[in-house]
Amino acid sequence: METGARAPLSERLGDRINPLVVKEIRQGLRTRLFWVCFGLMLMACVMLSLTAYADVRDSGNQPRGQVYFFTYFVCLGLVHFFIIPYSAYRSLAREREDETWVLLALTGLGPRRILRGKVTSFLAQAALYASAVGPFLLFSYYLNGIDLPTILTVLMLGAAWLVFLTVLGVCAATLADGRLGRAFVHFLVLGLLAGAVVVGLTSAFGISEGGSRLMREREFPYVIAVVLWLMLSYGWLLFEAAAARLALITEDYSRGPRRALVAQMLLSAVGVAVLWWRQGQEREVAAVAGIAGCLHLTVTGLFLISDVDGMARALRAKTRGWSLLRPGAVRGFRLMVLLIGGWALFCCALHLLSDDTQHNWRSMLYATVAAAAYPLLYFSVALLVAKMPRSERMTSPAAVRVLFIALAGLASVLPPLLAVLMDEEADNGLINLLNPIVGLVNFATHENQISAPKMTAGMLYFLCGVAALAAFAADRILVERERRVHAS
Amino acid sequence: MSLLQVKALRRDYGSLRAVDDVSFELEAGTILGFIGPNGAGKSTTMRIIATLDTPTAGEVLLDGQSLVDSPDKARPLIGYMPDRYGTYDDVTVWEFLDFFARAYGLKGAARHKRVASVMEFTGLNPLKDKLTSALSKGMKQRVALGRTLLHDPKLLILDEPADGLDPRARIELRELLRALADQGKAVLISSHILTELAEICDTCAIIEQGRLLATGKVADLLAQSQASGGTELTVRLAAGADGEAASARAEKLLLEQPRVGQVAREAEALRVRLELEPGATREQVDEAAARLLAALVGAGVPVCAFSHRELNLEDAFMTVTKGRVA
Repeated sequence: METGARAPLSERLGDRINPLVVKEIRQGLRTRLFWVCFGLMLMACVMLSLTAYADVRDSGNQPRGQVYFFTYFVCLGLVHFFIIPYSAYRSLAREREDETWVLLALTGLGPRRILRGKVTSFLAQAALYASAVGPFLLFSYYLNGIDLPTILTVLMLGAAWLVFLTVLGVCAATLADGRLGRAFVHFLVLGLLAGAVVVGLTSAFGISEGGSRLMREREFPYVIAVVLWLMLSYGWLLFEAAAARLALITEDYSRGPRRALVAQMLLSAVGVAVLWWRQGQEREVAAVAGIAGCLHLTVTGLFLISDVDGMARALRAKTRGWSLLRPGAVRGFRLMVLLIGGWALFCCALHLLSDDTQHNWRSMLYATVAAAAYPLLYFSVALLVAKMPRSERMTSPAAVRVLFIALAGLASVLPPLLAVLMDEEADNGLINLLNPIVGLVNFATHENQISAPKMTAGMLYFLCGVAALAAFAADRILVERERRVHAS
Repeated sequence: MSLLQVKALRRDYGSLRAVDDVSFELEAGTILGFIGPNGAGKSTTMRIIATLDTPTAGEVLLDGQSLVDSPDKARPLIGYMPDRYGTYDDVTVWEFLDFFARAYGLKGAARHKRVASVMEFTGLNPLKDKLTSALSKGMKQRVALGRTLLHDPKLLILDEPADGLDPRARIELRELLRALADQGKAVLISSHILTELAEICDTCAIIEQGRLLATGKVADLLAQSQASGGTELTVRLAAGADGEAASARAEKLLLEQPRVGQVAREAEALRVRLELEPGATREQVDEAAARLLAALVGAGVPVCAFSHRELNLEDAFMTVTKGRVA
């Protein structure tokens, strides 16, 4: 028996596309902003082409490709690095202001799919703009003076920058809830995007100017790879963080960002190992990676440890002791300890396997360990101060973050002052032992006169011991608080 | 078994208890009005039932299934309309409903059919190609209601749906809600317009400071209110009679009658408050009023009008609540 006619292909394809993409493109193409920008950009490109034609004829076929490629790229860059990310920001910010976000969340689409739809739809609009400028960019190649690899490199980095900024815009829209906060974020986004346009266009100018010379540099592919990796991994992290902020309290909101962070650190470890090997097992690679990684984990860890206590009842049944990706401050703290500890251990292993000809190898190793111990110590102290009292006054995520910054700030400023009052040098090793900035610098310092590190191994052990004790105490407090929250 | 069972619900925000031990039930095919002053905990309770929030303690069962433990399974059964309509600019009515139908996972012909049926039910067909931003408040409200119906939920949660609507739109909304209840849907509705609720709802729940003060059928709530707050009669004397003297005589006579608690003299009438036993029936009230009228007429008081003021939901609300905010 006939079961009914098959739907047309377009209909079936439409059903597979994220609903947000369909809606946003419908909406986007109806806005005045799209048509005004599209028209202006096209008009500017046509005018530039006429100028280029006249210019090349007048100059007796001098190579002008590099200049005109950059001017066309400016037309596209203004839209791609400002209009598109700003529109993405406004689109999601309006969903939150008008509370249509709640309606979307209840449909079962889920925050990640909704955000993916938002980002995809704005990238589709960006593709429309790019398709209009594409022929002009190709035209600039025929004006000579710029080679195809340079054009492709600029376009690839530009595309990555566009994706990153669009995700950043979407993430910024999730930041504030109150009216004042929204206004602040709005201005912040405008400022950031203005800066992003400058960075994007300056980089494009630099690469198109350097052209074939840059392409021949041995380090250039590494630099491109690192820049792309940073944009990709931070874009992913921001995306997951935005999805977590938009998730309902009953959802497993922490899984995405924590998984992204773990994956980022694992892939970075692989990248660092490859780089270390290819650079002839240089100790500097391990030291820089160790300190930069711990700094990155300090910033991301601040959000991880300041999660709320406990989790929704729907999630508790499937949560085990090792479910570190699940919501809750205690699991966030444990994951952060694991990541910082793991990263420090990995970098120390690279140190120990490195070429031992350098005289300052011990201070580099100490600095790597200290870079992990300081954030651990101050995260733990901030949690202890915030959550040990029975009062709920300082337990909010924002309060924990402020406490961390305040405590680390005080610990950075007070010891040097104390040292000066005691007629000692401001960077005295013992007095600044718990100072996260001067202490780290001290651990990284090698005294050439005595040919030994400025700080001793005993001091490092002491710092690590204090950090471990504080972390243990913070863990117990968090466990106790979660037990109380779940019992109520 | 009731479709929705709310059991000892509690929600704390730090030291603030927004919802405190709230329990009620809602049958399929009935409309429950949720009444309370601003900050009473209505929206918090509704958000918990809509799975947008999680309770500190207590249980909510929808069709026998805990929506606290399995919110994902409960969501397809719930249609939630917040107090803001939540429509998009630059989107037509049809595109808006089509988008949400896609979001609910409806595909192809099934989606087109569902959108068409919802548009017909809500009377939006003539506005199919109109931008939602160009619609009146009443029409936007219909679009929002249409959105909540797309996935054919069993329970509708409507937060202040009549707010800001003109009288015609309110009457039309009332008819739509009645039709939905007749289709077997359970409707939980909150509103500040209590007279409106009295006409729509089968049952009511009055909440204040996070605590449920009264719940039950509207008629029962009115009877309770009547019993606790007493009954008021209005006696109007004939014009031209010896005004002041007649009023004084009537007042004295009324105060001598049994069950008369208070008599207040106003410009042209006397307001009499009867004090009856708790749980007094309508017949007992009528009997007491008839005796008073007989006494007045028997004493030669020139009574030209004798009326019995009907209590409404507003009276019940005022009797039960004290105007406190959590």
